[in-house]
Amino acid sequence: MVNYVFRRLLFFPVVFIALSLMIFSLQMLLSPVQRISAYITSNSELKGGREQIEALIKKYGLDEPFLTQYWEWIQNILSGNLGWSETARSPVSEVLISLFPATVELVILAFIPSFLGAVWLGTKAGANLNRPKDHAIRIFTILGWSFPTFVFGLIMLLIFYGYLNWFPPGRLSQWAVTEVESGNFIRYTGANLIDSLLNGRWQIFLDSLRHLIAPIITLTYVNLANMTRVMRTSMLETLRQDYIRTARAKGLSEKIVQNKHARRNALLPVTTMAGMELAYMMGGVVITETIFDYHGLGQFAAHAAANLDFPAVLGFALYFALVLVLLNLVVDLLYPLIDPRVVLK
Amino acid sequence: MKINLNYMKNLLIVLAGIAVLALGGTAYGQIKNPNTLIYLTTDDISSLDPAYIGDTPSTYSSYNVYSRLLDYNGSNISEFVPALASQVPSVANGLIEELPGGAVRYTFPMRPGVKAHKVGIKGSDGKIKWQYFDDLSAADKAKIEPGYGEITADDARYSLMRAILQGESWMANAVTEMITAGKYSNIEKWAIGLAGVEKFDDVNEAGLIAVHDDLAKKIKVVDGKLILTLESSFPATLGIMALPFATSIVDREWAIDMGAWPDTAASWIKHHKPKLDQSPLFKQENGSGPFIVEDWNRTEKKITFKRFDGFFRKPAPLERVVLRLVPEWTNRRLQLLAGDADVAVTPPEFIEEMRKTKGITVTDLEQVYGRGLFFGWPVKADDNPAIGSGKLDGKGVPPDFLADLDVRKGFNYAQDYQVLLEQVYLGRTVQSRGPTVRGLMGYRPDSPIYTNDLEKAAEHFKKAFGGKLWEVGFEVTGYTAEGRSQAIAAFGVLQQNLARINPKFRLKVQALTSASMREKSYGSSNPESPLAYMGWGPDYSDPGGPLGAASYYLSSSGLVAGFSGDGYRALMKEKFDPLLEKAWKLNDPAQREPIYARLQEMSHEYATTQFLWEEVTANVTRDWVKGYVHNKILYGAWNFYNISKEL
Repeated sequence: MVNYVFRRLLFFPVVFIALSLMIFSLQMLLSPVQRISAYITSNSELKGGREQIEALIKKYGLDEPFLTQYWEWIQNILSGNLGWSETARSPVSEVLISLFPATVELVILAFIPSFLGAVWLGTKAGANLNRPKDHAIRIFTILGWSFPTFVFGLIMLLIFYGYLNWFPPGRLSQWAVTEVESGNFIRYTGANLIDSLLNGRWQIFLDSLRHLIAPIITLTYVNLANMTRVMRTSMLETLRQDYIRTARAKGLSEKIVQNKHARRNALLPVTTMAGMELAYMMGGVVITETIFDYHGLGQFAAHAAANLDFPAVLGFALYFALVLVLLNLVVDLLYPLIDPRVVLK
Repeated sequence: MKINLNYMKNLLIVLAGIAVLALGGTAYGQIKNPNTLIYLTTDDISSLDPAYIGDTPSTYSSYNVYSRLLDYNGSNISEFVPALASQVPSVANGLIEELPGGAVRYTFPMRPGVKAHKVGIKGSDGKIKWQYFDDLSAADKAKIEPGYGEITADDARYSLMRAILQGESWMANAVTEMITAGKYSNIEKWAIGLAGVEKFDDVNEAGLIAVHDDLAKKIKVVDGKLILTLESSFPATLGIMALPFATSIVDREWAIDMGAWPDTAASWIKHHKPKLDQSPLFKQENGSGPFIVEDWNRTEKKITFKRFDGFFRKPAPLERVVLRLVPEWTNRRLQLLAGDADVAVTPPEFIEEMRKTKGITVTDLEQVYGRGLFFGWPVKADDNPAIGSGKLDGKGVPPDFLADLDVRKGFNYAQDYQVLLEQVYLGRTVQSRGPTVRGLMGYRPDSPIYTNDLEKAAEHFKKAFGGKLWEVGFEVTGYTAEGRSQAIAAFGVLQQNLARINPKFRLKVQALTSASMREKSYGSSNPESPLAYMGWGPDYSDPGGPLGAASYYLSSSGLVAGFSGDGYRALMKEKFDPLLEKAWKLNDPAQREPIYARLQEMSHEYATTQFLWEEVTANVTRDWVKGYVHNKILYGAWNFYNISKEL
């Protein structure tokens, strides 16, 4: 097992170098004048004309050859420096660390109900093939699957904030922000829910929860819909297996057959998919974060990419590659636990 | 009917939870956060260092956190009031003196007793500890080390010199132009000029010290007053001194303690053109303005200002101001409507909708700059998709297409300005009459402008290129930055009218990212774009000088010439530069005004640009936001000192 994990982790540098070379090559397709855009915050900085542009290009070394720039970047990475993000006006590592808790808080809270809900709904649908329950669940999932996230998110925002004023956007209300930024609130993790609990501040906890509900509903529904469809199909296949027939012939109740014998084996494809969904969500839920003004990794990465902030894009790619490799590994390690027939070699 | 008790219990728990959470909200439309102004924006601040910045969003910090020697007088763009200075220099009060040989001396007496946000108190170990002035007891205040956090003329001298020597932003270089009366546009050129070398890299240590010393001669402190000595007249001096950029005053002792330039001749080069984060004042401040930066969360794009109770005027009405970047309009709109925000940056297409919304006030803000379609000639000849075949064969245009005055005039008569003003801007603004807009010297409401006249346009097009253009037609591409619906409308109207004049006239329009737009304009010595939608405005109210509206557009070394090609530059050099130089040398506004008015007329005669409209923006706020004063030259930057929230 340890060997297996070690060998899998060895892939990471390979993935990372390939990824960074690809992104670096792509950015070099742009001219230095285009790449300097990341360092120009407004057009007023162009008032020095071409002379000013050339000075900036020289200052940031954008006219250096590809290998020089790449080598310099790799050297920085090896010394623990991911570079400077012009869009966040901060070191890339600092940005990733500071936004990570916000994204994790949102993603975990959305992922758990979507995974559990998908397993439950998929099981129900599969076990009730072509019955009203199955039809209702299918309609529910098709809607979620086909609803663009930005449309669903905006509807959530309009209903729950615009009309009901229940669940505002952002991460905290202004009064809570003032409290959190005062010296009386200790930041343990950067995740508002956990920190407010650890500080014993229930009002801030509830306020944080209010801000999380609408994005969680949005993310949960979209992801739940995808996973439910896979779970349903997997259940249908599993329920046709011989051992299920045997279990029924032995006189086991349908509940036990479905929940104990069929569901566990049907979980394998859903687990694979859930791992990928979680990885993508950890990479930042760009649209949801943007709609709900939730400052997380997704919004940061999208903003950085749109502004050609390559150190930030590369730093984010490094983080995302790490998340993908680790979550794939976790999923692989889960297989033998779900199905003892699977052996890791 | 069978009732599942467990189900009912769970449902009740969920509903109770939602109700509890919902109770945290407040009623729709009330003043929330009565002492805090929440401003939702789409741009963020780049640095807290006033000597580093050159963009309007960053002035939201420098304007409110730092003070300058002078401030603009309310909405007036040419009148000033004292700030850190105790008097506004004028010839009448003797604080502006013309010296023999043409030099001009400005004297700024200082306001006494001004404190910075943080002051230095000497500890028992002899080290200075910087503490917030507002947090000090009366006993602690008595222990403030003299000069540490007290704003004096020496701080003003240091701040100006530091900005000039740092030489980072365009606005800092404007101070260099001011102090050298336009002789040098940045410290590097100044050093090169003094040392008599080709490149800045060739200036040796002695040369670097020499330029510092030359600068120090021009900015001095005498008897507690700041004295600026300019080699010759620079009429925009007071206008530059009141701008919230590099003329903002930092506390010298604090800045040095934080690692900024140590105020020595030999060391300035180490602090010249630092990268953003290498300026020690990038993320910390010690201004003397009405607000303190309480928190700047750069990853969440949020800055919080807290009232400075020790401000040299009475403290601001607001306790806090929060500026947050919210990229999504629906989100900003909903927060504004719910009262969670007080001000929201609003896309132009939603202004009218917001104007009709209850509880919202929309204030139109005239701007000091216009928008236009900028002509460039010659454009890059090789591999340039904008000019198609690169020949006058109906499938493209030659690189010097717009060098022909008849082509430029044809384009200008083909545009329908009234349709754009009425249908795109709904009558909120006026047609631009040239580089000089309303409020600037040289603007005359009766100066000639182009109107939509397809017959005249056809007349000019028929004359162009000896009649060949009319015969074969053309295909050319115009560019605009993405997301500018007004630009698309302006190009669209022009496109249709050109096709109506002659079906062989084809104008294509392409929206580009800002990075690609910059590539088209600055990628090579001649631009790629023959026709581009842009807007530029002056940095002070005087139309002349290196940063004035007339020079920007009409000088061969001006901003527009920088991206409009050698042909444009040659025209400016021949026809416009002599008048610009003549006007700049004069001190009497009565003599200068007719020259700028003439330059405005000439921009029409030579059809230098297709001047479209004077820009208008709008503040969209809750009704309870009071006290905003619009000064056009500050491009809509908010002075939060005047703002209050009241029903």
